Amino acid sequence: MAGHHLIDAYLAELAGRLPPEVVDELADGLRETWRHHLARGLGPTAAAHAAIAEFGTPAQVTDAFVADATGRRTARVLLATGPVFGACWGTSLVTARAWTWPIPVTASAAFAFALVAAVGCLAAAATSRHDYRRTRLGDLGAAGLAGLDTVMIAAVTIAAPAPVWPMAVAVPASLVRIAMTVSRLPHPLWS
Amino acid sequence: MKADAQALKGHLDVLLLAALEEGPRHGYAVKEVLREGSGGRFDLPTGTIYPALHRLEKAGLIAGSWSVVEGRRRRTYRLTPAGLSRLRADRGTWREFAAAVTAVLDRRPWPATT
Repeated sequence: MAGHHLIDAYLAELAGRLPPEVVDELADGLRETWRHHLARGLGPTAAAHAAIAEFGTPAQVTDAFVADATGRRTARVLLATGPVFGACWGTSLVTARAWTWPIPVTASAAFAFALVAAVGCLAAAATSRHDYRRTRLGDLGAAGLAGLDTVMIAAVTIAAPAPVWPMAVAVPASLVRIAMTVSRLPHPLWS
Repeated sequence: MKADAQALKGHLDVLLLAALEEGPRHGYAVKEVLREGSGGRFDLPTGTIYPALHRLEKAGLIAGSWSVVEGRRRRTYRLTPAGLSRLRADRGTWREFAAAVTAVLDRRPWPATT
């Protein structure tokens, strides 16, 4: 319990915007701020007002978390570098005449759908400014993209009759992207 | 004169690392170290300190751990060896930069040429 209804209301608003672990940490900080103002001689309500003013508005705090969110940063990096990877793979597939490979149309369609979905998740995360939950889509999109990279590498390994020179760029590039993406995916930060 | 978050942009990380140099602290205590250490000039909104601490933790420069204090969960941060190295490097860089700026600002103006 934070100790004052104004502080409880403030934390309730943050709870609708940020993960529970973050709100727990902020609740402790806000309580300390409130106690600091009580110790200065303010009454409980005045101390609560002062603590909230010192902490920043819920929107201000949320925006600060959004700006530093890993998912948002990852999404921006992947979207910025995406066209280069697309060009590498596009050149590889055209050069190797991929439409002649023994791959079912449904599999190709599923791949295309998954790619659009992953890019959509990344775009949603990258453009988020006030919604922390949207930044989490960046991790989902990044994981999806790593999976699609793996599928592409497997496809050219299994289905391509012979390697073509653009694959010498596309495959290592995708391997690097997989490694970098996996290393940036969330781990148990708040253990 | 107070410095706002924009003015501190680019310097906040090293200030947070310095605030943890003397030992582990929780978020509010870090903020208080910044405020008191700067004579009240670095009085940032407390809530905006926490995302920066999380970012430093993800970068491996500080490490956080949970404890329970008076029935509340509290997250306390400490410098990692990598964070201490970064702090030392950034401190040296800052001193050189500040000395250079001071040298330029304190130099007497040259006579105007016509």
